Amino acid sequence: MKSFQREVNAVTVIAAREVVRFFRDWRESLVFSFLFPVLFLGVLGGNIAQNLTGSLSYNYLQFALLGMIANTLAMTTMMSVASLVEDRQNDFTQEFFVAPISRYSIITGKIIGGSITSGLQLFAFVIVAIAMKISLTPLAILCIILLAPVICLSGGALGVLITSVFSSTPKAADQGVILVAFSQMFLSGAIIPINNSSGVLGILARIMPMTYLVDLLRGLVYQGTPFYSKIVLYNPLIHLAAVTAFSVAFFVVGTFLFVRGERNR
Amino acid sequence: MKRLSENSRLINQENLKENKLDTGFSIIHVSKLVKKYRKTEKAAVDNISFDVYAGELFAFLGPNGAGKTTTISILTTTLAKSSGKVIIAGNDLDSQAKEIRQDIGIIFQNPSLDLNLTAEENIRLHVSLYGIYAYKPLYRLMPKEYKDQIIGLADFLGIREDLFKPLKTFSGGMRRKLEIIRSLMHKPKILFLDEPTQGLDAVSRKSLWDYLRRVGREQETTIFLTTHYIEEAEYADRVCIINHGKIVFLGTPSEMKNRLIDKYLVLDAENRSALGSELEPFQPEAKGDGKIKVHFKQQTPQQILCRIRTPLTFMEVHTPTLEEAYVDLVEEKDEKKVLA
Repeated sequence: MKSFQREVNAVTVIAAREVVRFFRDWRESLVFSFLFPVLFLGVLGGNIAQNLTGSLSYNYLQFALLGMIANTLAMTTMMSVASLVEDRQNDFTQEFFVAPISRYSIITGKIIGGSITSGLQLFAFVIVAIAMKISLTPLAILCIILLAPVICLSGGALGVLITSVFSSTPKAADQGVILVAFSQMFLSGAIIPINNSSGVLGILARIMPMTYLVDLLRGLVYQGTPFYSKIVLYNPLIHLAAVTAFSVAFFVVGTFLFVRGERNR
Repeated sequence: MKRLSENSRLINQENLKENKLDTGFSIIHVSKLVKKYRKTEKAAVDNISFDVYAGELFAFLGPNGAGKTTTISILTTTLAKSSGKVIIAGNDLDSQAKEIRQDIGIIFQNPSLDLNLTAEENIRLHVSLYGIYAYKPLYRLMPKEYKDQIIGLADFLGIREDLFKPLKTFSGGMRRKLEIIRSLMHKPKILFLDEPTQGLDAVSRKSLWDYLRRVGREQETTIFLTTHYIEEAEYADRVCIINHGKIVFLGTPSEMKNRLIDKYLVLDAENRSALGSELEPFQPEAKGDGKIKVHFKQQTPQQILCRIRTPLTFMEVHTPTLEEAYVDLVEEKDEKKVLA
């Protein structure tokens, strides 16, 4: 097998492992996949919509649905990448690190595997949205499906960076992911509009990678609607440039730091 | 003890410089290797040098914390060294780590298996990572060669029936066997075994050794082994003992026994003075209980006994075991450390 073929094969098998592991405990996976949208969209989103969004000229639940989808896809992939620390705890990373493959292939496989498993999360969100009668046009669903891989890959790249920083124990890695994921959820406009955010909150909102992912998704879904200017912050091209830049940077720096941390003890 | 220490020192120097097999070429070359962990003052591996020759079974021994696993981790590219030079199968560790990984197989001290997968899935993952076979999501889609190879190995190690069961149901011994199958799937030039028989019962240990010897012979695989079981070093072509990060012995198991430990006869007779006179050429020593101790190195016990006419009332031949030789070496090093 040629070098490139071997790397592709390695990425495939590492991604497949994530999927097999995810579906091996399919009951828990299914329950949690549906529990999350029910809690965040049904309970949190529903309460905000009923009590705090009277002055909004657009459908808040649709707005929140898109934000939560982007946030959840990114977070699920981040969690999957963070499981590298759990693998290390169980001595399984040794198997990866002695294999004659690039370290980037290992991380890429993890991200792709996590992205595939987060597809179930997307499916659960769409089902819950339909059940809650949140308007989702076929075009909107198509935009979500098309952008989902980009969101997952970006989330995975951020996950690599977080994992490289919080890599001491699986607990530290999970807490790191949760800390970053929730900060992003509240600051990026995933749940709460940030069009009028200013000062420190405004700055934080604009340095959150999630802001650009969420806004990119909304930019595509709300394109051509009367609410576009009220909801979307920047042009989708700006978002794409920002998302590509931070994803590549996080992936390269995160992988470098993680591998260095593994070898330079 | 002084004489033994002197012997050890001379032998060590001689071995460290010259010891090599006549037939093999150096497949692992380690020169002035140092590893100092972060936030520690002492080096875990302290300027060690040795060669392992192609096709040999090389045993790397030492007490807990001696530097065995650190060394094996560096050689298998999972741990960065602080300084030194390592060449494995002609590839430089600094610039050709990936090529090195292609040539080696490893059985780690702690099993590195995914307990959420079945035994076969773990192996399929391994062969795909090594690029031996293209990954297929199902066993039945894998090529016939893969199936034959895995079934053959599983048959030999007696885990064929469990191949498709989740690893969670496997005992420690079965997991070890699975790791052995996995490490041999890509036919490595060098097989690193970090305490491979740890946790195995005597029968499993024996079957593992039978298999490893067969692999070494048939596939000409070089085996680099660390172990706590000293008797396992008897199987080795050469033994290297590391203690406190430094090599204290490098040589064959018989050299270890013959040259480092006293071999002696303990004799007694009713007429001890007559016996003592007859043994005079062999520089006898009186033991605390009055019996006579005669060291032998060049001679055999029979050659000494032939000289004796005095009727004996007691005779004991003390020949060292490998374990005694090992303990002697390690303790000697520790004593030196305390004195220093």
